[in-house]
Amino acid sequence: MFKMFKGFYKVKNTRTVPLLEILTMAAETLWSNKLRTGLTMLGVIIGISSVIAITSVGQGVQKGVEQQIQALGTDVIQILAGAARSGNVRQGVGSSSTLTWEDAKAIATQAPSAQMVSAYLQRGAQVVYAGQNTSTTIYGTDLNYPEVRNTHPQQGRYFTQEELDIAAELAILGPTVQKTLFAQGVNPIGERIRIQGEAYEVIGVMEAKGAQGPMDRDDQIFIPLTTMSKRLVGNNALVGVSVNGILVKGANQEQLEAAQFQVTNLLRLRHNIYPPQADDFRLTNQADIVSTFTSIVGLFTVMVVAIAGISLVVGGIGIANIMLVSVVERTREIGIRKAVGATNSAILNQFLAEAIVISIVGGCIGMATGILLAFVAANIFKFPFVISLLSIIAGFGLSLTVGLLAGVIPARNASKLDPINALRSD
Amino acid sequence: MPTMIWMESITKTYHLGEVSVPILKGIQLSIEEGEYVSIMGASGSGKSTLMNILGCLDRPTTGDYIFEGRNLTTFDDDELAYIRNQRIGFVFQQFNLLARATALENVMLPMVYANLPKPKRRERALEALEKVGLAERIANRPSQLSGGQQQRVAIARALVNRPALVLADEPTGALDTETSREVMSLLTELNDQGITIVIVTHEPDIAAQTQRIIRVQDGLIVG
Repeated sequence: MFKMFKGFYKVKNTRTVPLLEILTMAAETLWSNKLRTGLTMLGVIIGISSVIAITSVGQGVQKGVEQQIQALGTDVIQILAGAARSGNVRQGVGSSSTLTWEDAKAIATQAPSAQMVSAYLQRGAQVVYAGQNTSTTIYGTDLNYPEVRNTHPQQGRYFTQEELDIAAELAILGPTVQKTLFAQGVNPIGERIRIQGEAYEVIGVMEAKGAQGPMDRDDQIFIPLTTMSKRLVGNNALVGVSVNGILVKGANQEQLEAAQFQVTNLLRLRHNIYPPQADDFRLTNQADIVSTFTSIVGLFTVMVVAIAGISLVVGGIGIANIMLVSVVERTREIGIRKAVGATNSAILNQFLAEAIVISIVGGCIGMATGILLAFVAANIFKFPFVISLLSIIAGFGLSLTVGLLAGVIPARNASKLDPINALRSD
Repeated sequence: MPTMIWMESITKTYHLGEVSVPILKGIQLSIEEGEYVSIMGASGSGKSTLMNILGCLDRPTTGDYIFEGRNLTTFDDDELAYIRNQRIGFVFQQFNLLARATALENVMLPMVYANLPKPKRRERALEALEKVGLAERIANRPSQLSGGQQQRVAIARALVNRPALVLADEPTGALDTETSREVMSLLTELNDQGITIVIVTHEPDIAAQTQRIIRVQDGLIVG
């Protein structure tokens, strides 16, 4: 039937275009259609940058709150005078004068795990100096307060035991109060201010502690507890000086639980409370507050990451859409490539490479944008700038996955087109 | 001369929903190496479908297509891609160049899929473009070239992997008389160099320039 055939050549069906060449080709194609490429990339960029920025802001806020609470001392238990009951109506915490200075002294001597104890009274009051007028919080405290609260005078001094004993009219100002009452450059030490009409000599200014949430911890004045009790509040307890709260510092954080137990028992004995009778005091410790805050911020972060995840998915759908449209739009190109010998896998790889290049380049831009956004936010809203490696890895990994998944289906469709059908499309 | 192409009872039926449309109804065809053949027929006769099957762009519904001793109906997609890449060059009526690529890049395209090293591609592409008289226009995109120039780029692309067979589907269909003559003389020249050429045309004076005319009518070869 056949006269003769040329020497048999081998049909190679495993020709593959090298990876580097595929990537170069993809980059060139993407570069030559900048609008389409840019729009596709935008989805990835928005997704990743929001994941990174939002996670970073969440973690920064969390860290900021932790730092502030830590600054108060996590080894401190706070005892608040309990909710008073009048009839069956429960009033607010600290509303009755169930705690006394005597309780504080008893804790100091009888609770072995309590390293240091400080009692305080607290009232809002009007303060006047040379016509300047401010409303602030007055703390009447004892000598242990600066140590327990970890806050010390940055200028001048604290009052002494002697001055506490004689109920001297001395005041140590928080920095905010100082700034409000005194003009810049005026040394407040030795000046006399009026608290509810009575004169006090300023002997010190506290170091700045910053704001804790909406509460400005520098907007306060410290005076001797005895002075406060006599002049501002009035001694109204049956036994000794009534106080709003007692702070108990444990030797370390591990001692806190023991201290908490000892303090509870001691106060029940002193107050004649037998369970199931309700306590007339309440214990909180900073570690609990920290963990509460952390879990709230953690929940917030989870929610926000979920939102960011959704935007990444939306970005992915965007990529998928544009890839699909791009395949349809480029059917003729696929036909031409196939007509000159491109294999199915060469077409598949070409489209996959384009999806990968878009994902990686978009991922990098998104990462940079996200970090920048987080940095700007941290500086504007004054919380620590934290970037977690995890969010970067997760963001980048997600973008690659989304890009690949979004690219795979259109690429498979493209590779399976018949050359002649692809060529005929217009 | 040795046989290059042998077609035995080739049929092609398109299915448009419920309706079956037979285009080729049993083609018997033999073309020898080095021949210069034209396929003529009215539109709808099936000559383009026949051409597409010859060029491995389409598969027959039934029948055997033997090309250089191999039954291509048993080949898978990748093997057919190899034949299109290495053994057959295809020239289209509408040129089918990549719009975003330059003349040089278009001519280099088949060599990308042949895995030739880049310097080699350039060298061969320049050689092919020179052969078709376009050495000056290598950096132009198709839109910057005339129809005749585009068709010559397409011919250079068809030649660049040194095929044994060049198929041209209405190569002059979109060109004026003058450029048609240029393209035809180029094809004749290639045939003189030993390349087997098959062109599809409906113009008798084009067909007259070939050695043999195959007439297709209603899906059958009539002479």
